[in-house]
Amino acid sequence: MVTLTTNDGEKFEVEKPVAERSVLIKNMIEDIGGDTEPIPLPNVSASVLKKVDTLVLEWCEHHKADPMPAVPDANDAAEETRRRNIDISEWDGKFIQVDQEMLFEIILAANYLDIKPLLDLGCKTVANMIKGKSPEEIRKLFNIQNDFTPEEEAQIKRENEWAEE
Amino acid sequence: MSSTGKGNVEPVESEPTRGPPVTADLPTAWGFLETGIDRIMLNFTAGMTNHYYVLCYTTCYNYCTNTKGIAASGQVGRGATRGSANVMGSDLYNKLTDYFKRHLLKLRTASDSLSDLALIQFYFKEWTSYTRGANYVSRLFTYLNRYWVKREKDEGRKGVFPVYILALVQWRDHMFYPLCSKNNKLVKAILQQIENHRNGEEVDTTLLKGVIDSFVTLGMEDDSAVRRASLELYKEKFQTPFLEATKAHYKKESQAFLAENSISDYLKRVEVRLEEEARRVDLYLHSSTSKALMNRCDETLITDHMTVIQEEFQKMLEADRNDDLARTWSLLARIPDGLNPLRETFEAHVKKSGLAAVAAVAAAATAASTEAGAKNDTVDPSAYIQALLSVHKKNEDVVEKSFKGEKGFGEALGRACKEYCNHNAVATTTAKSPELLASYINQVLSKSNKENADEANMEEALNEAMTIFKYIDDKDVFQKFYSKNLANRLVRQRSASDEAEASMISKLKEVCGVDYTTRLQKMVQDVTLSKETTAEFKERMRQAGDNVQDIDFSIIVGGTVNWPLNAQQTEFAIPKQLAPIYERFKGFYTTNHSGRKLTWLWHLSNNEIKMTYTKPNYILIASSYQTAILVLFNETHSLSYAELAEATQLAETQLKPVLNLLVKAKLLLVEGDQYDLNMNFKSKKIRININQAIRAEKQQESNDVMKTVEEDRKFVYQATIVRIMKMRKTLTHQALIQETVSLISPMFVPKVSHIKQAIDHLIDKEYLERAEGSRDT
Repeated sequence: MVTLTTNDGEKFEVEKPVAERSVLIKNMIEDIGGDTEPIPLPNVSASVLKKVDTLVLEWCEHHKADPMPAVPDANDAAEETRRRNIDISEWDGKFIQVDQEMLFEIILAANYLDIKPLLDLGCKTVANMIKGKSPEEIRKLFNIQNDFTPEEEAQIKRENEWAEE
Repeated sequence: MSSTGKGNVEPVESEPTRGPPVTADLPTAWGFLETGIDRIMLNFTAGMTNHYYVLCYTTCYNYCTNTKGIAASGQVGRGATRGSANVMGSDLYNKLTDYFKRHLLKLRTASDSLSDLALIQFYFKEWTSYTRGANYVSRLFTYLNRYWVKREKDEGRKGVFPVYILALVQWRDHMFYPLCSKNNKLVKAILQQIENHRNGEEVDTTLLKGVIDSFVTLGMEDDSAVRRASLELYKEKFQTPFLEATKAHYKKESQAFLAENSISDYLKRVEVRLEEEARRVDLYLHSSTSKALMNRCDETLITDHMTVIQEEFQKMLEADRNDDLARTWSLLARIPDGLNPLRETFEAHVKKSGLAAVAAVAAAATAASTEAGAKNDTVDPSAYIQALLSVHKKNEDVVEKSFKGEKGFGEALGRACKEYCNHNAVATTTAKSPELLASYINQVLSKSNKENADEANMEEALNEAMTIFKYIDDKDVFQKFYSKNLANRLVRQRSASDEAEASMISKLKEVCGVDYTTRLQKMVQDVTLSKETTAEFKERMRQAGDNVQDIDFSIIVGGTVNWPLNAQQTEFAIPKQLAPIYERFKGFYTTNHSGRKLTWLWHLSNNEIKMTYTKPNYILIASSYQTAILVLFNETHSLSYAELAEATQLAETQLKPVLNLLVKAKLLLVEGDQYDLNMNFKSKKIRININQAIRAEKQQESNDVMKTVEEDRKFVYQATIVRIMKMRKTLTHQALIQETVSLISPMFVPKVSHIKQAIDHLIDKEYLERAEGSRDT
């Protein structure tokens, strides 16, 4: 078992294989051999992130038996297919059905903890949300303020005409 | 920036409990990280808590992901965000590069005063902890590797590496290269160690292996794809000087050693050395060096001294130093074309010893015959063949044992044997060896041979004879002599065993094919058939109630085509005692096989005659001619030559020698023209064989054989040419000759002039014609 400590001092007892879905934790355990002392996760700053952790751990628990992703290699054909593949398994699809804020927190945590499949899952979900929407719709969806001047916008539109087809 | 880099041991408790703020600027963030890296690089054994580890990781993560600070400074928008991420990454990357550089500079300064073993040890120790540390640091900077480095590389920027590789590159540029340029003292120190090792001193092979491995590791700049092709550095910086040193070392050593020791010892030494070098690769070199190293050793130790070794090879052959021969062989086999001169030497040697052996036999024969006062210095076939065999056997052993039966040497042996078997002091013409071999086999297969008691012995002797047979060029000559001898054995019933005859024939068949032996086989068959015929005849006689007159009769009927025997051109009056049975058999045979003509070969027949006028009653085994003469003396004790000629109707050429023989055997006494029966004949044996071939006859025979061979060859030439032309229709002169040669050579060595004659002959007979044009036939 490995103890994980969030920034606000909350402790989570996790099985080692679960914790090791995170490359950060895995490397650390390998390098320092410190799986007896608690592992602090300082980038987890508030109680809402504690919730994220719970979710993340849930995912890790579900996927603990999966093979570790190979060392990322841009030239790898398998990596290429993995990237293009936007299919999401049923369990994962259910798991990721959270509100937008939570989704971004999950992505951030996965990025920080270096859990590639989870990061992919998050990004794919966002990609699916964007797919087929107009810039206006996307702005609305993510609550983004349009900070382009009309001239800038026209130029971008011109430059990206090919993509509209 | 904190005052780090002194390598002082900081107590573990002094670890910071909090990292820098999330939005820390570069100096703050790096300052924090540097302390952590120092801990890893300089004070590794102190270890690190999870807390500290995560703090370092987080600092790196935060710094790389933090775009707010810059965004706040005014730049907004996608392009700006990306640009800032770039800046953040490269900031850290540059700091890291710097850090490694400074670290290495310190190490290098420390190494300046060191040399030789101390330098190697220092290098190895630092290398080990450096690479280990770099591995950890690389992990700490995973985030940097994952995003910034990866993106830089995706965009094709050269010179950006994952952190661990960056560390290696830095080591190479700031540690290894300077060491190389500075007198190359590191590599030199290693080479010195290897030199010591070669000189038999103990060295720390683990140390050497570690250092040499580092050269290989340093070569790998990037991920797996490049790693394979990255032995360049190792090859250039280490392998090349190493091979040079190897060459120099062994050049010196081999010269010094050869100056004081024999070649034989040198070969042993080389063998040991080569083994050592092969082991050295396993011990501390990269496996790819093996081939180059071995080549270099072969060159220096063997190729450079090849001439001396080859000269010695001759002496080894002469002195039968089989171990040395084997060693020479295995060493020179390592070198391309190294064995060729040896094969030549070997071939020449075998040939020479073969000729010498034959010359010895010839000399012995001459000596013996001069002693005996004989006019002909005939060589004993057995001694001759044994001489050929012993040379072959000995050298075959050498090939088997010392040269591992290598094909090239086998062929050299074959060529040499062919050479000395066909052309030597005894065999002045190519026909001599086949003749002698045939007589040797005749001896083996004859009843008179005492060694034949043992069948295995005989089989062995025949096998040996076959060995020689394979080397004989003129196999057709052999065939003629052999069939002549076989006929003799069969007719005179002197064959030792039918099985042995059959086995010999089947051996010949194996080598030369069915055609070669058909006649021989037929002869043996004829004899068997004749036995049946004789039995049948006797049965018929008894049934007919015919009185056989106390004469036991047996006959051999052979087909003229198969038997190399000719009827002698002479009249012959059949003695009256034999006449009745002669007539009867003639009648019997012609009724059974009408249309066949019987030719009686009286000179080959045997008769047993009981001498009634002496005590004890001797039994003579005599030919029909002798019988005819002797029978005449039944009526009178004295006859003149003219009377004898009259009575027997024999031609002078036949009668004279027969009479001489009888006189020599002291059965007759001669006085002028008058022949008297010797009434006081005495002999130690009861059975006396007076039917012996006459010497003159023998010489004659051999000439006859040669004549028939020549005749036969003409037909062979012609037949072969016709066969080829039937297939090819047209062929150039040259091609025809070549093809003829290749078809005939298994039988004998064809002469081109003979082939031309044959072609001309065929053209004359209009079997062939020259094509319009010129050379096409």
